[in-house]
Amino acid sequence: MNFAAIDWVIVIAYLAGSLLIGVLAKRFVGNVSDFLVAGRELGVHVGIATLAATEIGTITFMYFAELGYKAGFAAFCTAAISGIVMIIVGRTGFVVSRFRELKLMTVPEYFEVKYSKGLRIVTGILVAVGGILNMGVFLKIEGQFLTIVSGIDAKYLIAVMTAILLLELVYTVLGGMVSVVITDFLQYVLLSVATILVTFYAVQTAGWSNIVDKVTTVMGPGGWNPLQNERFGWSFLIWQVLLWFAMCACWQTTAMRMFATNGPKTAKSVMTWTGVIFLGRGMLPMLWGICALVMFGTGPIGPDGSPTPIVNGQPVAPIEAMPAMIATLLGPGVKGIVVAGMLAATMSVNSSYLLGWSSVLSQDVILPIRSKLGHGDLSSKSQILINRLANVGVSLFVMFWGLYYPLSGSTYLYLNITGTIFLSGAFVAVVGGLYWSRSNVTGGYCAMLAGAAGAIIPFFFLHWDANWTGFCAFGLALLGLLLGSLVGKKPPAPTLRAAE
Amino acid sequence: MNGWQIFWTIWLLFSGAAFAIITIVVTLKGFGDVKRMLSGIKSQDNGEQ
Repeated sequence: MNFAAIDWVIVIAYLAGSLLIGVLAKRFVGNVSDFLVAGRELGVHVGIATLAATEIGTITFMYFAELGYKAGFAAFCTAAISGIVMIIVGRTGFVVSRFRELKLMTVPEYFEVKYSKGLRIVTGILVAVGGILNMGVFLKIEGQFLTIVSGIDAKYLIAVMTAILLLELVYTVLGGMVSVVITDFLQYVLLSVATILVTFYAVQTAGWSNIVDKVTTVMGPGGWNPLQNERFGWSFLIWQVLLWFAMCACWQTTAMRMFATNGPKTAKSVMTWTGVIFLGRGMLPMLWGICALVMFGTGPIGPDGSPTPIVNGQPVAPIEAMPAMIATLLGPGVKGIVVAGMLAATMSVNSSYLLGWSSVLSQDVILPIRSKLGHGDLSSKSQILINRLANVGVSLFVMFWGLYYPLSGSTYLYLNITGTIFLSGAFVAVVGGLYWSRSNVTGGYCAMLAGAAGAIIPFFFLHWDANWTGFCAFGLALLGLLLGSLVGKKPPAPTLRAAE
Repeated sequence: MNGWQIFWTIWLLFSGAAFAIITIVVTLKGFGDVKRMLSGIKSQDNGEQ
């Protein structure tokens, strides 16, 4: 075991504290709006904490460190794009202000407000499938991290990850967004302290001049210049810009934070300042990956063009180099804080994603289908119950998919593609719906279906690379919206109303 | 390559410093936000009853 007694005490105290706070928050859930958007009472600071914690998980640290290990400083371009796009969206209020004014609870809900109930259901299904598949690999990657850093025997991995998932499930099911926001706030503080600690120790151990030399020697100019790195280039950069605009606007877990703020102005501030955090969210773990390259990148060049990491004389996968570095360089106590921080990151992401995707499943698939079948409206209490059951269903799926699905290739690209399945169509239909008066329900259907086909067919059947798949998905979605809207009936004006 | 090296070093320093500063501000002011959020939810729920 790599853990001392003090490390276990810190980790167990953190887990118990999270559970207690999450459970106590249950008494603040009086209706479905409290459960899904915390009564729309989020202020700027806690809004920043919950949005940042939702999108910073162990999975984030793992895939960014892997990218840093393989692509050096050139990988920083992805972090820079994510941060800059968020700041632009925050400053301009692009989509997010209008969404907040409409008082929505989920992204597909907008499709009923602007288009039709049928399109809301189709969008809900695509969003739920893409989102749950996206979340499906989290447990496996997080388990890898925990096993390497703590030294837990791999045979206990399934039991440990299941226990963590159950813990998250308990407080998410009971307190919904209220529990998630409070625990996110504490988890954000802890994961940020862990991030700063690991950065300090990693750079101190690897040495800045060694870092610069290693990247230059192993990768040449491609380790610095994203346009000269075969992983990136113009097509990748443009796709990332598109993808991040779409994520800021239509990614359910991000959008839920915007819906939960106490007004459009707060939503804009939360997005802007979280954008600044997102620069560090990407660059710091990428730097850890580069430090791991300095410490362990001594093996032969692997199929992906980077040196195979050698840890204790054994070759390991590049994604395992960063956790191996943390296991090596941190002492007792500090390691406990860092692992508690990583667990905090894991739990904040998983609980938010559980709530996000299960809310789509219940609010945009189950309840609208029930209404289409002619059943009357449910009480707030019954809606909360359906949301809770959806939470449990999504957890069960994630547990089995995450622990048994064999993930091959780059984790970052898997996450990008599963997201693109619904993001391309949803983004195009939302922007068209908000800013183009001619957009209509035919265009909305064409955008959603063409966007999904544009992501699935090229990537899984034609084996195109992720960049061109992304372009294809966004391009087809745009074409679908334009052609469908021009062919379909002109919508009556005005088309929008607040959801509540 | 030197230009890119300087460019990314400046980005890294800015990002690391901003990350640390925002963490401190959010930590100090976030507790107040959580308290206001909970009392806001309570008063909304009381108003509905």
